[in-house]
Amino acid sequence: MTRKEKVMEAGDAVSKFVKDGCLLGVGGMHMHNNAMAVIREIIRQKKKIGGLTTSPSACTNADMLIGAGLVEEIYCSYVGFEHLGLAPNFRKFSESGELKVRDCDEAFSVYSLRGGASSLPFHPLPKGLEATSVPNLNEDDYKFTKDPFTGEDVLCVRSMQPDVAIVHCQKADAYGNAIFEGSKFTDFDMIKASDKVIIQVEEVVPSEYILEKSHKINVPGLLVDAVVDVPFGCHPTACHRYYTYDADHLKEYLKACKEDFPAYLDKYVYGPKTNEDYLEVIGGREKATKLMERDIPW
Amino acid sequence: MVEVTVGERMAAAMARHLKDGEVVIMGAFSALPMLASRLAQLTHAPNVSFICGGSGAINPTLEPLPESSCDDRLLRAECIYALPDVIDLEARPEIDVFFAGGLQIDAKGNCNLVGIGKPGEIKFRGPGSVGLPFLSRAGRYIIYTMAHNTRNFVPEVDFISGPGFVDGELLSNGPSLVVTPLGVMDFEDKKMRLKSTHPGVSVEMVKENTGFDLIVPDNVGETPAPTDDELTIMRRLDPSGAARDSIR
Repeated sequence: MTRKEKVMEAGDAVSKFVKDGCLLGVGGMHMHNNAMAVIREIIRQKKKIGGLTTSPSACTNADMLIGAGLVEEIYCSYVGFEHLGLAPNFRKFSESGELKVRDCDEAFSVYSLRGGASSLPFHPLPKGLEATSVPNLNEDDYKFTKDPFTGEDVLCVRSMQPDVAIVHCQKADAYGNAIFEGSKFTDFDMIKASDKVIIQVEEVVPSEYILEKSHKINVPGLLVDAVVDVPFGCHPTACHRYYTYDADHLKEYLKACKEDFPAYLDKYVYGPKTNEDYLEVIGGREKATKLMERDIPW
Repeated sequence: MVEVTVGERMAAAMARHLKDGEVVIMGAFSALPMLASRLAQLTHAPNVSFICGGSGAINPTLEPLPESSCDDRLLRAECIYALPDVIDLEARPEIDVFFAGGLQIDAKGNCNLVGIGKPGEIKFRGPGSVGLPFLSRAGRYIIYTMAHNTRNFVPEVDFISGPGFVDGELLSNGPSLVVTPLGVMDFEDKKMRLKSTHPGVSVEMVKENTGFDLIVPDNVGETPAPTDDELTIMRRLDPSGAARDSIR
């Protein structure tokens, strides 16, 4: 018997592991490390997402899935484009009622995944967080219980265990042993909490590389089901230590959402079938070089 | 000398509010708070520590100043904490000052990022509450906004994302300073009070653009301009003008 390699095309990973109606976790935060190549493939395959959970701050990873009409409900601490503006599809679909919003906060995003990662039935929150409107807006996911030690009321959040997580990191070997080289956001707990895990990477590296740097490996391959090799696969968001976000493209996206989003999807999602085709459409080598050339602090 | 911009005046006002030795945290869309915190470190408060929200960067050097709070250029820092570790800090007593903002802010310093409307009938969706609920555990907080009008300064917020002086026991000392493109406010008996106006802004203008009755003392001064030293540092940290030109 030979050991099974997990490297596969985005199309195969999505058709195999993303089921209609699933609870999906997507990694990255703000316009950084969003696993966009796999997310575009979910849109091509028109997979229905029953529930979407993210880091405390989602960006185009959530907004694009919502705009494609695929998301039934979202656990929302924040969806936006930071200094570039609000999230147009998230606003449009939630205001019309097509998208159900389960109002949350950063504490929910972090502790619900930590609870899921540790197989805890739920996760209590530090005192003080009950002073906002959020628990009242979402009585399904925030509930009070009695602290068994002090008898005091304590606010708790539901533990979350996504059916599948889609996370970007910089490097992995063919068996899914992965290295995160930039900020880690909530990706580790999302990986631990989820049943199936698809990792998209900038580079697949040889196992010898992994063995030499085992102190830097932060995701063991035993947690990973698929490795998708897509250089520049975070575009238009950044991949830490590889390239920055494409502000011009994100502005084009925000404009397209208001004017003609189906045309955006045709041009950038349905049109280019592979990651290579996509990279040509966004401007090829010239664009890639521009996003990599910057004042790098390391 | 080049004219001082509104952004620079706001950053200097926030920097001077930080005391040496304090621990400061900020979230998304924080070019001005990042600039203010670094400016404080390089002037009167070298022992300030600041945490740039989602990136997990603690004491980044900020040259150049990035616009996004999770930018990897922030990773030239003293420590890169994972986000769950940052949340642990937000829940501990370490955080002295939290930078906050909102779609709506009211007289008691409550901040709203949920949206405009009523439960079940939100007619304008905001981005979401993110880390603002942790204000309840911070020592005190500075509210900053990129606009100041009767739409964002309202009598009572529609939803509370970040609690100001709410009823009941607060773990926090509450909001302490509000910095906007029109002026600087603080609080008296848990109600917002005008402290100073920026050049060219009258007390009347601030009152007209605030949706509730501000406490207005007899002598409202002008927000002090940054010193030459402060200005030189800010322009070195922010050569592209990400913070400097952020207010129009």
